Amino acid sequence: MLIIEALSHVYPGGVKALDEVTLTIPKGLYGLLGPNGAGKSTLMRIVATLQAPTSGFVRFGDIDVLKNPQALRRRLGYLPQDFGVYPRVSALEMLDHMAVLKGLADRRERRAEVEGLLHQVNLWDHRKRALAGFSGGMRQRFGIAQALIGAPALIVVDEPTAGLDPEERNRFLDLLSEIGENVVVLLSTHIVADVADLCPAMAIICDGAIVRDGAPGALMASLAGRLWMKSVNKAELAAVRAAHQVIFTRLLAGRTLVHVLADADPGDGFSPTPGGLEDVYFSTLAGLSPRTGAARAA
Amino acid sequence: MTGGPSLFSKVAAFEFRHQTRSALFWAVTGVFFLLTFGFMASDRIHIGDTANVHKNGPFSIGQTHLIMAVFYMFAATAFVAGAVTRDDETGFGPIVRASPLAKFDYLYGRFAGAFAAVAVSFLAVTAAMTVGGDLPWLDPEQLGPFRPDAYAFAYFVLALPVLFFTSALFFAVASWAKSMAWTFVAAIAAIVVYVVAGIAFGKPDLEPLLARWDPFGLFAFDVATTYWTAADRNTLLPALHGALLFNRLFVLGLGAGFLALAYPLCRYRAAAGKASAAAPPAQVRTGPAAVLAPATPRFDGKTAIAQFIARTRFDMGQVFKSPVFWVVLGLGLANAGGALWTSTDDTPYGGALWPVTRILIAVLDGSFNIFAVVIAAYYAGELVWRDRDRRVHEMIDATPAPDWTFLVPKTAAVALVLIATLLAGIVAAVVVQAAKGYFHFEAGKYLLWYLIPRSADLIVLAALAIFLQAVSPSKFVGWGAMVLYIVALFALPGLGVEHNLLIFGGVNPVPLSDMNGQGRFWIGAWWFRLYWGAASLILLIGAHALWRRGTETRFSPRLARAPARLKGLAGVLGGAALAVLIGSGAFIYLNTNIWNPYRTQIGDDRWAADYERVLLPYESVPQPNVVAVRLIVTLEPRRPMLETSGVYVLENDTAQPLREAHVRFARDLDVRALSVQGARALKTYDRFNYRIFAFDTPMAPGECRSLAFDTLLTERGFRNSRRMTRDLTSVVDNGTFVDSFAIAPTIGMTRDLLLTDRAKRRRYGLPAELHRAPLGDRASRAHSYISHGGWTSADITVTTDADQTPIAPGYKVFDRTRGGRRTARFVTEAPILQFFSIQSARYAVRAERYKGVELVVYFDSAHGANVARMLRALEASLDYYQANFSPYQFRQARIVEFPDYAQFAQSFAGTFPWSEGLGFIADYRDPSRIDLVTYVAAHEFAHQWWAHQIVGADQQGATALSETLAQYSALRVMRRLYGPDQTRKFLKYELDGYLRNRGGDATAEQPLERVEDQGYIHYRKGSLVMYRLAEEIGDAAVNRALRSLLARYAFKGAPYPTALDLVAALRAQAGPDDQGLIGDLFEKITLYDVEATAARARRRADGRFDVALTVKAAKFYADGRGRETPAPMNERVDVGLFAARPAALRFGPRQVIAFERRPIRSGVQTLRFVTATAPRFAGVDPYDELIDRHSDDHIVPVR
Repeated sequence: MLIIEALSHVYPGGVKALDEVTLTIPKGLYGLLGPNGAGKSTLMRIVATLQAPTSGFVRFGDIDVLKNPQALRRRLGYLPQDFGVYPRVSALEMLDHMAVLKGLADRRERRAEVEGLLHQVNLWDHRKRALAGFSGGMRQRFGIAQALIGAPALIVVDEPTAGLDPEERNRFLDLLSEIGENVVVLLSTHIVADVADLCPAMAIICDGAIVRDGAPGALMASLAGRLWMKSVNKAELAAVRAAHQVIFTRLLAGRTLVHVLADADPGDGFSPTPGGLEDVYFSTLAGLSPRTGAARAA
Repeated sequence: MTGGPSLFSKVAAFEFRHQTRSALFWAVTGVFFLLTFGFMASDRIHIGDTANVHKNGPFSIGQTHLIMAVFYMFAATAFVAGAVTRDDETGFGPIVRASPLAKFDYLYGRFAGAFAAVAVSFLAVTAAMTVGGDLPWLDPEQLGPFRPDAYAFAYFVLALPVLFFTSALFFAVASWAKSMAWTFVAAIAAIVVYVVAGIAFGKPDLEPLLARWDPFGLFAFDVATTYWTAADRNTLLPALHGALLFNRLFVLGLGAGFLALAYPLCRYRAAAGKASAAAPPAQVRTGPAAVLAPATPRFDGKTAIAQFIARTRFDMGQVFKSPVFWVVLGLGLANAGGALWTSTDDTPYGGALWPVTRILIAVLDGSFNIFAVVIAAYYAGELVWRDRDRRVHEMIDATPAPDWTFLVPKTAAVALVLIATLLAGIVAAVVVQAAKGYFHFEAGKYLLWYLIPRSADLIVLAALAIFLQAVSPSKFVGWGAMVLYIVALFALPGLGVEHNLLIFGGVNPVPLSDMNGQGRFWIGAWWFRLYWGAASLILLIGAHALWRRGTETRFSPRLARAPARLKGLAGVLGGAALAVLIGSGAFIYLNTNIWNPYRTQIGDDRWAADYERVLLPYESVPQPNVVAVRLIVTLEPRRPMLETSGVYVLENDTAQPLREAHVRFARDLDVRALSVQGARALKTYDRFNYRIFAFDTPMAPGECRSLAFDTLLTERGFRNSRRMTRDLTSVVDNGTFVDSFAIAPTIGMTRDLLLTDRAKRRRYGLPAELHRAPLGDRASRAHSYISHGGWTSADITVTTDADQTPIAPGYKVFDRTRGGRRTARFVTEAPILQFFSIQSARYAVRAERYKGVELVVYFDSAHGANVARMLRALEASLDYYQANFSPYQFRQARIVEFPDYAQFAQSFAGTFPWSEGLGFIADYRDPSRIDLVTYVAAHEFAHQWWAHQIVGADQQGATALSETLAQYSALRVMRRLYGPDQTRKFLKYELDGYLRNRGGDATAEQPLERVEDQGYIHYRKGSLVMYRLAEEIGDAAVNRALRSLLARYAFKGAPYPTALDLVAALRAQAGPDDQGLIGDLFEKITLYDVEATAARARRRADGRFDVALTVKAAKFYADGRGRETPAPMNERVDVGLFAARPAALRFGPRQVIAFERRPIRSGVQTLRFVTATAPRFAGVDPYDELIDRHSDDHIVPVR
């Protein structure tokens, strides 16, 4: 169990990236959802021992992460949001190198591990190709492979699906959920669907603060009966925005689909909709949900 | 196709604005301004000029502009390459290309704008020279009037075409390569190719060709100003015609050509988008995820070793896989390859040396190591920043790899890369050795003299670079700091800081010798390496403590974290390193500052200036002469220690009673005891090791008294040295060589140790020039010019180790080895100069008796190749000199090898110390080469007459009596052995040497009879003068004159002869027609300009040919500054008709159709001949016996 307590981080220049973040993250896949710039990566980096916070505590099991980062690193698998590769190095070489760094000193053991992982992430046929020539999806799969070396107890994956095509994304998420059965997997993303389909638990982070957390189902339930939708012209949109609490709009077949939040039927051609995690996310970001505080469960 | 001039000019104007607003523009402009200003403002830095040439004279302006324009290539590359690569690097390219802008406007508009920026930026050089020429603190003697015409010429004619050419060239390269990095690589390659080609083609006969086709114009400028005197350099602009004009047009044309080439090379629209790496087809998963037997990470010693090896290999692989490494290594090898190849040239007479390891190591040090330094500095930055640059750092830093696995393997990788680089240099050297047919490979020397010490030095440098990168906010700041460090290395000695304890990485240089190995000199060097090794370890531990692990890059949090990272082994190691640093530093200080004096160049100069101020007034105090020397010399080569206990007999050979004796010792000689009979110490100058004794009763004329002394020449530990070793190299394990000044006193003050550099003299408040007594001065005839020494007898006993051969002047009368020590006593049988040498080493000996004289070569057993040749040269010399001058005064002549701590051969009484770096390793497989061994041997042997029988008075012209006559004697021997052709070849080098050096003389050029120890006059011009004289009046007449001189002055004391005596003796032997010639040769600086302008041959009725040769001739007299006045010419000059060009390879006597001396007068004249066959070439002075700056116009083809 990963426990984050009152974690704050202020960058030089006064930008407050994290503000008193407190989270308890159990085994399994945990989604951290937030828009770009919300502080996700800062939080992930602090958990991954790459950044010391201004204040707060991070504990994993009995490890005080901030005091003893090396102990955490021995149990950590980390996939950074944005990572590059060395030129002229193949997937196999790089993975082998990472395995050495992760403490797999025995050559045969390491080889078995690396080859197994290459199969697991479906890169076996490309193992001898230079990483620099990999597509985004292959690169992400390589990233998860290296994060899995040495059977880590905590896996931190930061925006892993950004830039993947739908099929690659699906495959990647499958892989993650497979792994997530026995270990803590902290997944950050700004894509609602990543979390909705996979994560038994999640939190929404905005402007450095956790604004909601809980199980996706429970969060969605909090909006039940208050979501309404309508398809409008571009010309009508301004009027709708003025009249209603719009959660989000989306283009659909040349018209604009509008979701609004209202305790009662707003009329005006709106129809009720069961909604999804997207509604939770966007209404939370927009600060619309009056029951935000109530949804904040311990 | 084009968008019209307006679009073009808009692009150009935009580009110009963009460039001139960039940081690069101002940085480059600033750097070049400061660089040029530095040359102007500092009187310590000169670009190729000397004190007499104005710093802001037309020549200096031109030369500086030209050299700076070549350097500027790299800046111009950045400007123009930026103009075409910028869009692609910023990702803006597709947008630009999508605009309706035509390729022509885009490409050439950009170039025009960038080149305008280049041209404007380069004005910094012009501005800096203008400003620098008006600085109040500069020596007004080094400045001339403001010359706007010279600046305009230098900027527009010299610099701008070069800038245009380089800009266009690298614009074309960048248009094609679309990469700044590769364009720079091309620029570096261009420089290397240029240098290598310059070395390969830099032969005198190819110079006219190079002058035309050199794309930078350096050769054209060189040829246009060849043999310019200081006066020329301060007033003239090179004429814009001939080769210079051709070259300028060629350079501009070349630039235009490359510019045109850029158009097809630039892939404008096609390069719009690199095809992004296609995603591979989606793969169907092959079965379930493999069931992993989870490997368990372990964190023990085995893991640590595996991590160290893996990380080191990985980091090395990153270097070895990077093209930049191979490019830099290739450039280094190309650069070193050229230098290695030419290192065997024995300049300046076209000789060749064997490529012995010692020489090649020196070449690698000089031309290869700098590339290793670049690799160290560059890859320190690359490796420290690589994870970050490649954005891999988050992944790597989050692994459980211990903190040390970041720094330690990177350091090891850089170290191994550097060792590999040095090994590549060694391979290049070995390849050169093999290619030159030298198969004596000495792995041990490469290892101990080069690989290990240089690796250590480079690793220390790499540690500094790694530390600087670790504390710098960016890679570029780190590199900038390294550049500053390297600049500081050059600047610090100028500021008086020369202590290796203070200059990071400073290590004593180790002089190398095949006779003496590294001697004991490596010890000091390795103490410094230990000291800097400890410092490097501390820096590396500091870098480790401050390492950026994670995403925190600010300095202060890292500093706060540092103590935690220093816990454990790092801290312990750091403490140990600190202890070593302090301990070794203290021990070094004890050696360099307590046991031995710490000296700097500035300190030495100041000492010499004070020495002159305090002691030179004593020069005129009359002194007794040494007439007998008795020395007991005890040498312990391994200590090193040389004890001398001696007695001089002093005689008052003046006409007056003497009240004082002035006794002078070498600066660092330890004087244990000193007494002068009947005198007491009056004054002692400890700083100068100079003592004045007052006689209790004045020494009467003709009276003799004794002087007794004990001295100790030794060195405890080691000294601090920067460029050249300051350690005692004269007393060493194998190859001790001391002269009498080093171990025994001289009587009276002389000018031996005074400053000679004009600028330095003025800086320390001394008159710029220290003139010798003028020719004909009476008072100075009381002393010989060789340290005022007169004729003496010597009785010297030398004791050394049993396995060594001691050598001192005189005949060996006693030689006994007992108790591991060998003692030999030498007694002279003819008067010798009070200037002699003592040597001792483990010698091989080859001796022969020739006409009653024992000829011996003492040499290192590995250096026997040319010993037979040396003996033959001694025989030939003895024959000629005894037959034509006078009998040889000794029963032996000995050539004695000494280590390569100095490169000369010298002539002492019957003894010729000869450096192992000269004739002993000369390569004579090519018989057409000039036989320098014979020439040097004949020259030194000739000094037994010309210095050791008659020695000039201490006034102008003294060296004409010794060096010039030795040159003459050697030339006669050479001519006798090798015939006139080789002699002429030799004289060509002499002519070139004379003409080149007279322009650079810091003092006034003197006529030969007034030469003031100027080598280019008494050697080079001396050869030319004496050879021509012998051709004109015959060598028999010259030798008669020399015999008369010997008869009058040999072994006589004061008054010593002067050059006037030589000239008078020659005049006495020459006919009335030749008196004018002797005046021209000896008393004036005479230059000729003869030219064969046309030649025609017509068949006569009788089948023979009428040949008409038109000759233009002029003669000039020059003053000491090179200003010439025309003189009427009317003298006999060689004229020849030939079947082949005299310089041709197969030219021989059979190609000579007619050859005679004809009177030639000033102006144009036609000479007529009748010949049996038709000549193909005709020439005046065809063998270049006249001193003529244009010897290339002496021959014309016959039409």
